[in-house]
Amino acid sequence: MTLLRAAALCGGYGGSTVVHDVDLEVEAGTCTAILGPNGAGKSTLLRLLAGILPPTSGAIELLGRPFNRWRRREIAKRLGYLPQWVDFSFPLSVAEVVEQGRAPHLGPWRPPSPADRAAVRRAMDRLGLAPFARRPVRSLSGGERQRVLLARVLATEPLAVLLDEPSAALDVRHQLEFGEVVRDLLRQGTSVVLVVHDWNLGLRLADQLLLLKEGRVVARGGPDALADAALFRSVFGVTVRVVAGDGAVPHIVPVGLS
Amino acid sequence: MSTQGRDLALAGFVAAALLSGLVAGGPALAPAEAMATLLGGGTPEAATIVFSLRLPRVLLAAGVGAALALAGAALQSLLANPLADPFLLGVSGGGAAAATAAYAVLPASLLGVVPAAAMAGAAGATAAVWWMARGPFGTSSTRLILAGVAANAFTSAMILAILATAPSPRLPGALAITMGSFAGASSSAVAWLAPYLAVPMAVLAYHARDLGLLALGEESAAALGVEPAAVRRRVFLAAAALSGGAVAFAGVIGFVGLATPHLCRLLWGNDVRRLLPRVALAGAGLTVLGDLVARRLLSPVELPVGVVTALLGVPFFVALLRRAP
Repeated sequence: MTLLRAAALCGGYGGSTVVHDVDLEVEAGTCTAILGPNGAGKSTLLRLLAGILPPTSGAIELLGRPFNRWRRREIAKRLGYLPQWVDFSFPLSVAEVVEQGRAPHLGPWRPPSPADRAAVRRAMDRLGLAPFARRPVRSLSGGERQRVLLARVLATEPLAVLLDEPSAALDVRHQLEFGEVVRDLLRQGTSVVLVVHDWNLGLRLADQLLLLKEGRVVARGGPDALADAALFRSVFGVTVRVVAGDGAVPHIVPVGLS
Repeated sequence: MSTQGRDLALAGFVAAALLSGLVAGGPALAPAEAMATLLGGGTPEAATIVFSLRLPRVLLAAGVGAALALAGAALQSLLANPLADPFLLGVSGGGAAAATAAYAVLPASLLGVVPAAAMAGAAGATAAVWWMARGPFGTSSTRLILAGVAANAFTSAMILAILATAPSPRLPGALAITMGSFAGASSSAVAWLAPYLAVPMAVLAYHARDLGLLALGEESAAALGVEPAAVRRRVFLAAAALSGGAVAFAGVIGFVGLATPHLCRLLWGNDVRRLLPRVALAGAGLTVLGDLVARRLLSPVELPVGVVTALLGVPFFVALLRRAP
């Protein structure tokens, strides 16, 4: 089943187009990784796919229906989006932030039911946040905040999660744990779309990888097709060695500037 | 203390504030006599003082306090900024400038439109501040406070110009608008204020959950199903109506809108749905109490209530500023 389909998708901010002509299909229960240099339009593409940035042209549909024929809240029930950065101006507690993940299911009036509370608890437990529940998020480190926001996405229990740099601030243990969370989601049939800088994480997790440069897709395919030293030279201007990693997944080792 | 305990304490506080406003409201009637009047005894003169003078004043202070506190809570969430407040942002100033202008120039038969003018002024100032404060990544504290400074500087200049040129019979009334006072309270003012409170309150209640989500920024809220543009429009209008209504019937009263939501956050957490009714009640109680202080501190001379709230509110604002990241 195709969850998300984008065709000739373009988008940007205030008149300047950042993402050009992206075609993409996201199947249920698959992982898509979006890669590319700084400023290539990865985060913008993710915002377009999450429906929080309206495209300037092109088509995008969720479950076969164009975005503009969905209500914002109905999209939010089905697509969970993890922003790269959130400004915690108010001293919200960890539990209060994770509970926000249920908001799309509640609407303006309905109070959280036992089922909503259970979803919040599961999400907090999955990311090991239960001991922090009452702590203000502002007192946490960058990596801990990222886990709180990821728990908020999980609490929604969406059909797909769209994650912007979800593991950038995580220590090695929590990076591995993040990989497990993604695999669990995929096993449950949830689709995952990731923007990552860590190529090896992308290669290990993703079924399809999308390489962006200056807002355009310059390469796409499975891990074997994308683990290509020539691509790295042309897109990033670096020399890498592709070595055999765990199992059949190739592993990238940066060597130097080319 | 449990949430129920805090709720009971809040109810007790509001009841005590209202009662002291009625019982200890001024030198004209001793507290014991006022109490007897409330309980059904007392002279007809005492009944006039308690029910026709003090009761409307207490009710007006409660309504205005609730309005300002709600406007502050709404603006703080909407702008994702804990320093937002109708007074600091110049929203009250915009209302006051328009209200004093209307009051100074309109013939007596048209003074009924002063509240509408206050609301229009407040709405105009809200729009201007939002436009000034908005950077490429939302509103930052710095931009917001600077926008408030700009709006306040502009509106005070306008108010001074109006006061300098107003015809002398209208001067005291125009001056009262700028200082904040409940001295002009009447039962008809209370009746007029009611719809200005009720409609915005309904809007805020409907958007309470959205406001909670917007406290973490527009992108974060949009990802959870909020339509930021629609919510922004409605909540800004509601906050402008609440602040403008407050200015129209009581003049400019600062810091109630800033301090009350923060005090309530400390006691009840950050869930805006739970917060709003408690913010309204606490704002009502605090303002009634502030008015009592204004009336009794230098009795028989009466201070403007805006002076009292500023004297108490400024240290609070400084503490917030020092604590903000």
